[in-house]
Amino acid sequence: MTTTIEPAEDEASVSSLISVRDLTVSYDVARTGKKLVAIEGVDLDVREGEFVTVLGPSGCGKTTFMNVIAGLVKPTSGQVLVAGEPVTGPGPDRAVVFQDYALLPWRTVFDNVKFGLEMQKALKGSGWRDRVQEAIELVGLSGFEHSYPRELSGGMQQRVGLARAIVAEPRILLMDEPLGAVDALTREVMRAEIEKLIAATGKTVLFITHSIEEAILLGDRIVVFKSHPGAIKEVIETGLARPRSERSIQSDPRFLELRDHLWDALQGEATAAAVSK
Amino acid sequence: MTVTSATGTNRIVRPRRVVRSGEGKWAWLLVGVVAAVLLIWEAAVSWLQLVPAAFLPPPTEIIAAFVRLLGEPEFWQAFVYSMQNLLIGLALAIVVGVVVGLAVGWSPVLRFTVAPFLWLLYSTPKVALAPLFILILGLGNESKIALVFLLAVFPIILNTMEGAVAVSPSLVSAGRVFGVNGVYLGWKVIFPATLPYSLSGIQRGAALGFTGEVLGEFLGGTGGLGHLLEFAAYQFMMAEAIALVIVMVIIANLTLWLISTLRRRLAPWYDDRKIVGAS
Repeated sequence: MTTTIEPAEDEASVSSLISVRDLTVSYDVARTGKKLVAIEGVDLDVREGEFVTVLGPSGCGKTTFMNVIAGLVKPTSGQVLVAGEPVTGPGPDRAVVFQDYALLPWRTVFDNVKFGLEMQKALKGSGWRDRVQEAIELVGLSGFEHSYPRELSGGMQQRVGLARAIVAEPRILLMDEPLGAVDALTREVMRAEIEKLIAATGKTVLFITHSIEEAILLGDRIVVFKSHPGAIKEVIETGLARPRSERSIQSDPRFLELRDHLWDALQGEATAAAVSK
Repeated sequence: MTVTSATGTNRIVRPRRVVRSGEGKWAWLLVGVVAAVLLIWEAAVSWLQLVPAAFLPPPTEIIAAFVRLLGEPEFWQAFVYSMQNLLIGLALAIVVGVVVGLAVGWSPVLRFTVAPFLWLLYSTPKVALAPLFILILGLGNESKIALVFLLAVFPIILNTMEGAVAVSPSLVSAGRVFGVNGVYLGWKVIFPATLPYSLSGIQRGAALGFTGEVLGEFLGGTGGLGHLLEFAAYQFMMAEAIALVIVMVIIANLTLWLISTLRRRLAPWYDDRKIVGAS
């Protein structure tokens, strides 16, 4: 697909850290010989330091969207620019936090976090030890350096995943439903910690979730996805002051308004998805 | 025992102690049963003379033959001969099996083209090829090593292959995101993730390989425990023959125990019960 890039758009792609241009990803389904369109015609610009939450029903292609930005999936058409450069594969400027943690079970917490530095080839000097230790302290896991993932709770394992992602100091953090597999109480605590951590480090975040509350609580902007094919339905500025405490925000009229709006938007989507299956 | 948290995610909590003490009780029962069987055997042959001792020697005679065997240099020579062939054949099977298994498991092209043949070969009774091996490779060590290799390599390949297929895609993604690629990805992620499967295949391969070694010596050999056993049987020395079988049982079980200990050491994160594969 060819697009004429207008000057205004060009400018936008320079000033934004991530810019997604008319992105389409489709897979060949070997069994049926048909093409499955995962996402179609997605455009999005993310400014440096922005916290963007991506909200949508399961199967809407939001994970595929994130994988393209991570460089794990090649776009079928369109492109993704990070800091003005087209993405051709994974790079040290982007790190991913996975839903199922994706920790290496044969490595200790320390060595798992160290894995985040592999690409940097920064393991030659001695400075990397301090960086790993710092990241472990930042996520509150001091004292567990020599534990194995299987000895930790889900919440703690995801802290390791978070430390591994931030240790190499990427500009962009891509989080794929990081709290999806964590129990409700831990999720609340970790949500607040992630917000604090991001505020302190000033990273640009793309946070995928299917929880409406999570999307509002964390996001500067919410990108709502629709399914079949996956595409952006709407983009909403939350306009809520930070820091946002979970309790005080529950009664904020803006929060309630957003929640009702998103509920309506997603309910239609969820029903459509259920019917088409 | 599983503990269900608020969101319904299960965490496995292993009731280790309970299992251990239960196993202890069963072990005593087993000792009791074995003692009872030996006692009845001894009584039937030596005291009641229900069976001629020439066909079925009593346990006391077998134990005497066993002790005698351990004192003979000829036995230790045979032992070293058999173990040497077993170890060489097994080492070759491990190297080839793990490399081929990883490659076939990891590459979809190889998996669709090569894997069906591997399964076919795996299910072929390779023991039938033993006479052919001896014809081609002769009566010496080579035919035995080849038999050990042939019998041991398939479970190792197939288990490693299944393990490589089962590696969590998100582990691979994590590897790629943090800059590990190609052969390096195989070494840092795929190989360790597959290791418990490989070891399980190696365990089965070792047991089968030992069968191959003994069989080779049986069919045409100049040394080894199988040769010794064949000789004892033809000389109608039943006590010696049974004592040799006991030696083989001990060797086979020690090997299995050694490898499962190794597996617990090298892959403590892996739950034994989850391993299913070629047996």
